[in-house]
Amino acid sequence: MGMFDYEFMQRAFWAGGMIAIIAPLLGVYLVLRRQVLMADTLSHVSLAGVAIGAIAGINPSVGGFLVAVLGALVIERLRQNFRGYGEVSIAVIMTGGLALALVLMSMDSGLNRSFSSYLFGSIVAVSTEQLWIIGAVFVIVLAFWVTMRRPLYNITFDEETAQIGGTHVRWLSQTFSVLTGMTVAAAMPIVGVLLVSALMALPAALSLRFARGFASALIMAVLIGLTGMFGGLTTSYYVNTPPGATVALLLLAFLLIGLGIQRILNRMRRGNDMLEGPDLDSRRFWQRQSGNAQKSKVQTEVLHKN
Amino acid sequence: MLLASMQDVVFGYDREPVVNRLSMDIYSNEFMALSGPNGAAKTTSLKLLLGILKPWSGRVQINRNEKGGKPIIGYVPQQVASFNSGFPSTVYELVRSGCSMRLGLFKRFGNKQAALVQSSLEAVGMWELRDRKIGELSGGQKQRVCIARALAQEPDVLILDEPTTGMDLESRKGFYELMRHHVKAHGRTVVMVTHGLEEAEPYLDRTIRLEREEGGGWACLTTSSCSVHFGPEA
Repeated sequence: MGMFDYEFMQRAFWAGGMIAIIAPLLGVYLVLRRQVLMADTLSHVSLAGVAIGAIAGINPSVGGFLVAVLGALVIERLRQNFRGYGEVSIAVIMTGGLALALVLMSMDSGLNRSFSSYLFGSIVAVSTEQLWIIGAVFVIVLAFWVTMRRPLYNITFDEETAQIGGTHVRWLSQTFSVLTGMTVAAAMPIVGVLLVSALMALPAALSLRFARGFASALIMAVLIGLTGMFGGLTTSYYVNTPPGATVALLLLAFLLIGLGIQRILNRMRRGNDMLEGPDLDSRRFWQRQSGNAQKSKVQTEVLHKN
Repeated sequence: MLLASMQDVVFGYDREPVVNRLSMDIYSNEFMALSGPNGAAKTTSLKLLLGILKPWSGRVQINRNEKGGKPIIGYVPQQVASFNSGFPSTVYELVRSGCSMRLGLFKRFGNKQAALVQSSLEAVGMWELRDRKIGELSGGQKQRVCIARALAQEPDVLILDEPTTGMDLESRKGFYELMRHHVKAHGRTVVMVTHGLEEAEPYLDRTIRLEREEGGGWACLTTSSCSVHFGPEA
């Protein structure tokens, strides 16, 4: 394929591939923890970091990265204070970050132009240095997930029972937030600030509707993310559209098609059941219920003997 | 053996204390029930005991188990059955996750654990439904799955907040028998909050009743036969 003759395309695919694995992976947990807007917030915050970096004369990517991590810690802290309505912390930080970014931008008019590549992402924006950052984040997130996937599952299901079971909920939750911040910052140059959360939320949203179990939800989300990313980058190269928006639209299309298919399948299945007649259905249900009750009785008796 | 004790614990959610100078001892290897009318701070007392809530004053202590380690506590909260119906786990996956509390981060999930998950699911009569998504289950079935998950932890102490809500009579009796079996045969301690004291009584070792104090405010006054004591004088 012609597009891989360009080094920037190779870099974009490497970077995109790594992000499309870790972002949907974290996204599944974020959706289930009702924290999916956190990605959005962190990207707005890290935009302020980019502006600070540019004005202070350090690398804007590094600035964005550090501020995203800091923002993640603050959000987590606030979330624990606003128990029961944790979204408040997200609203507070999001507005704060965006307002700061806009004010800082207005102070340096030269910044305005280069900002568009941060806002919307750009295939050519991935420098070798950024590729290294993305690579490091990729390794860290995967290593974290491999080690912590059991306790992560437990705190995602229920924080209270996990804590009583001996999980360090606070530490784990904080680390998870920091990694989300790192991933958001790493994904910024390609997907763009405004659409980073699409890569976390949309694959998760689709996979959660279809997957039969937790493990399969994770695998599915990653596969959807990869398909969307590579498809989006390719389209973006040939049609010359902003990559972030193309990827997001493609993922959105997957989601809509997926939901449509599910609806049709459900209707077909319902139709088949109706053919057998409602009576048969209720009888089957009843048999299953009483079968279970007998089973549990038998089991307790057996348990008593040993 | 004294497993846990609370002494003169005072706690409230805002200004007014809901728990006033509660003292309670929990001995290991007992099936104990905590009962009382609505609003008698039963759940709050459990959470204080578990350390989820920090008391305003007083002392909560959980002793080490025979092996000298922190006791493993399996907890089934009151509302867990109403969990996120979109949570994408199968019944099996969820119960299996109970094992991870003992397995830690890396130890392999082996045959022993698989057998444990199976026996836990069978004990609550949910083995047949192991491949179902938990969101598809009824309230009573979810409750059973959560109990199975707690059993799969192989806990030293099992703490259940109104575990029989949504169960029919037959299931409730089976459940009490199951708990009794775990106390007698596996040396576990079971603490359960319940309203159905009359039907559970024959299975229990001890009952603690939280009641309303004269002149307003909830306090913990009476007890059953055994050596539990409430109030400052005890």
